[in-house]
Amino acid sequence: MSAVIEAKGLWLERGGRAVLRGTDIALRPGDALALVGPNAAGKSTLLRALAGLLTPARGEVLLDGRPLPAWPRAAVARRVALVAAEDTAAERLAVEDRVALGRYPHRGPLAPFTEDDRAVVARALRLTEIEHLQRRPLGTLSAGERQLALLARGLAQDPAVLLLDEPASHLDVRHQLHLFRVLDEVRARGVAVLAVIHDLQRASWAPRMALLHEGRIAAEGSPADVLESEATGRAFGVSVRGVPVGDGPERLWRFEERA
Amino acid sequence: MTERLQRRLVFATLAIALPLATLAALSLGSVSLDPIGVLRSAGARLGFGGPGALGETGEIILWSVRLPRVLLAALVGGGLAVVGASLQSLFRNPLADAGLLGVGPGAALGAVVAVNLGWARERFFALPLSACAGALLALLLVYAIAHVGGKPTLAGLLLTGLAVSALAAAATSVLLVATEEFRVRTVLFWLAGGLEGRGYEHLGLAAAFVLAGTGALLLMARALDVLALGEEEAAALSLPVHAVRILVFGLCALIAGPTTAVAGSVPFVGLVAPHALRALVGPLNRRLLPASFLAGAGLVLVADLACRSFGEHVELPLGSVTAFVGAPYFLVALRGQEGHG
Repeated sequence: MSAVIEAKGLWLERGGRAVLRGTDIALRPGDALALVGPNAAGKSTLLRALAGLLTPARGEVLLDGRPLPAWPRAAVARRVALVAAEDTAAERLAVEDRVALGRYPHRGPLAPFTEDDRAVVARALRLTEIEHLQRRPLGTLSAGERQLALLARGLAQDPAVLLLDEPASHLDVRHQLHLFRVLDEVRARGVAVLAVIHDLQRASWAPRMALLHEGRIAAEGSPADVLESEATGRAFGVSVRGVPVGDGPERLWRFEERA
Repeated sequence: MTERLQRRLVFATLAIALPLATLAALSLGSVSLDPIGVLRSAGARLGFGGPGALGETGEIILWSVRLPRVLLAALVGGGLAVVGASLQSLFRNPLADAGLLGVGPGAALGAVVAVNLGWARERFFALPLSACAGALLALLLVYAIAHVGGKPTLAGLLLTGLAVSALAAAATSVLLVATEEFRVRTVLFWLAGGLEGRGYEHLGLAAAFVLAGTGALLLMARALDVLALGEEEAAALSLPVHAVRILVFGLCALIAGPTTAVAGSVPFVGLVAPHALRALVGPLNRRLLPASFLAGAGLVLVADLACRSFGEHVELPLGSVTAFVGAPYFLVALRGQEGHG
């Protein structure tokens, strides 16, 4: 199966600093990839380049094998959804209205919403399990519920690629587990999921992990391969030891500062 | 009570209150007219019943003096409220307003320049167009200055608006005083607003711009909703952010320019009406914009009635009356917003 989204040799500068220096990454339908890396490694920049919000100086992003600039903006937004770390929409906006704005790339500014749009919005609310909150104003939600509403907006775009920037950073453990369960279901429907995850332990949710360091993918593979690699130790300045949990393949990792 | 029921009640209230306020504004004033007579006279004009329900003087007062002024007040208020609601979405701040962002003073300066250079006498549309240009320039200036060094804070935005407003108002005063034919009274009009002596030609002039601009902004309701999500999310949803912002600025100036040209500065209407309604009908612009138009129309209509009912020979400046109501409202709302971080 070929990649639905692929970055080839991305080179991107922000504020006079080369943030991405030849980044390569590819996702096939149904892939889940956790992107990790130290602060300012360029993780968010990579997400935004994949969503077409930043234009690389060199290299290219291919969506369904076609370079992004060859796609109309609305068509990209129908295929790629970006979910930010924090929702900053108006507090009084109702959850269902927030989610329905994800249909904008499909309907544009004027066309009325159809039954089809309503069905997609309802499915997004169902998948994220926030149907019971749909009439509530965003301001009355907990941080975890708000993050789920934001994710539902991304799902309402009906995307083939879901990009998430630290989706779990403000959530308590129960909401984190809920969020990752929803992402698993989304992935099972053939959506490619790429999530920037700060917490390395938590990032092992995904079967594949990629380490971004100094603007390049420094390691890629299973969580164990990446976390226990020398590249991870160097990138974070820590030593990592994997500890098997029970008899299965599951592992926990212990981190220690390097001298 | 469900939100839907609440929204319907709000719209029903506005739809009933506005005609009642209009009737009151047509009946009351230095010469009181019988409201029933006003209705019968209106019926006669529409082809029901006989003419002259109010007598010759009453008919003249109603149709030649009061009606254009009342309609103009409604149009000015409705237009400014729509401008306020749109700017609040664009700046992602429920306390943004044309007056606070330098639009009113900018429009006034544009209008005074047109009068001063004699353009207004040569071409009919020079005055409103020049006011549009002034409003647009002020908006772009505030926007550009406030965005230097990243996303502006509320305080940064308001202070920038304040500075640009002060600059425009100062230039307006200097221009007026430096010109012999102008007197303090004219200065007062541009700075404090008023609808005294406004007739059908002013109404026609403002109506074309206000209705066109309001209609266009209504068509952009969903785009404004997406824009209010923030620059990044809007762009990720394929909204052409910069083009939409410039378009909204242009449409706001299109409304604010001519309203200022015919009514002077009428501050705070664009803030109070949408801010109060946001709590009642929610922030989606397809509801907020029409509700704001109706509420703003009612507000200025009543404010203008207060201005001309104040005394027999003195009219209060319209802008002062709206400021007396709007400024305390703004202060309370500002405290509330700061409280929420």
